[in-house]
Order: sequence, then structure tokens, then C-alpha cells
Amino acid sequence: MLIMSRRQGETILIGSEIEIVIAHIGRSRVRVGIRAPRQMAVVALEVKLVSEENRAAALAPPAAVLQTILAQLLPDPHTFHTLTDEGSVRQDAGTKT
Amino acid sequence: MPETQTTNFGTISFAPESVFEFPNGLPGFEERRRFLPVQNPRTAPIVFLQSLEEPSLCFTTLPVWVVDPQYRLRVMEQDLEVLELTADRQPRIGDEILCLAVLSIRNTGTTANLLAPVVVNLKNYKAVQAVSAESGYSHRHLLFPQEAVAC
Repeated sequence: MLIMSRRQGETILIGSEIEIVIAHIGRSRVRVGIRAPRQMAVVALEVKLVSEENRAAALAPPAAVLQTILAQLLPDPHTFHTLTDEGSVRQDAGTKT
Repeated sequence: MPETQTTNFGTISFAPESVFEFPNGLPGFEERRRFLPVQNPRTAPIVFLQSLEEPSLCFTTLPVWVVDPQYRLRVMEQDLEVLELTADRQPRIGDEILCLAVLSIRNTGTTANLLAPVVVNLKNYKAVQAVSAESGYSHRHLLFPQEAVAC
């Protein structure tokens, strides 16, 4: 990675179209101005991570998420089966009434 | 009462005033603005966020304090504006806002996105997925760390 030192108000050029201005240097954060072609998306890295994470989350249907949680809460296969059986018995009884 | 078709829950009827409105959508789903919170007593405290515009789109979420009782919310100013909340202080979870972590499945198990919780203003139901870069939280926080499962 290229590391450059810049002072407040100074600019960095990337190619001929992207301009990065160090607008303000605070104690723990830096404000950066970015000039780039309109069609170029400029987002904080975290927004991209969240966007990818949302797409992954959307691919997991609720039933699959519940099943994974249940399997993690009850890792012992015996416990898991006993509970599932009881649940289905109760459900059958419910439909008869 | 209006109804909506969903892939996961069949047809559900809902009160129009219970719809969460995301004025900017969610990252990755910018065009999806209206979500319905769906809860089932048997799966509480899980809250499903069902899209009203895409029947197959449904996020599974948990209140952040269920995932991490010490969770500290850090909503950026621009998100507070979307929520129509005052920008001079952080909103109070449970009192002024609802704060939900979106769950997903990885090989390691269920993870919760604590980097960007869904924040809903309880007064007007305006919602935003608040990316809080400075919070230090992970977007893939493991729900059940290995040591907890082993006991």
C-alpha cells in the first residue's frame, strides 16, 4: 500500500479524475473531500461490508436461521430429537380438537 | 386490514401503522423501503423483518440487548436525521427506539450484525440500518461462541 503524508488542505490525485482533499484533521478523525466521476460509487468500507452481509442474510430463510440456532442451543442430538418429537405430538393433539 | 403475500409465512394481514419505513432502504437493498415486523410467541424474542415489496425477502433479527446486554449504540448524525430524532444525543434503546441485529448463517454458526443494527424510531416507525463505523463492533458477531456451546 502506498502511504503518503499530507497536511490539512492538501490534495491527492488518483488517475486524472479522482481528487482527494484532506479537508480537516481533528483529534481522532479526518474529514476527507472526494471528487470523482458521478458513476463511481464512493462509500465507506463498512457500508460495503454491511451490504454484502445483508445479501448473505437475505439468502438465509427464517426456518434455516431458527434451525441453526436450535442446533447450537441443543448440540446433543438426543436432546434435540426428544424435544422435536414432543413438539409434533402436541401439534397433532391440537389439530384433533 | 391489508394483506401481503410472503414466501415464508404465506398470506399475512397487518395494520398499516405497524409498517417500518426505511427512507433509504438498507445497504444492498436500497429499493426496499417498507418492512413489516413479524413476531411469533414460539420464536420470541426473534423479530422477522418481512419486505412488503419483495415476498421472498425476509430478515431474521434479534434485539441487540439479547445478543449483547452491554451493547452501546452509536448512531451517526445523518442516520438520526433520517429517523427524525434530535442529533445532540444518542437515542435510548427500548424507550425511544427499537434496535435489532440482523442474523445470518455462516459455517461457524449464526452471526449477528452488530456493526449495523436496524434502528426504528418508535414514535413514527421511521427506520434505518445504522452503520456505526466507530463503534468497533463486528458485522459477523458470533451468536454462540464455541466455549459457551462446549459446557
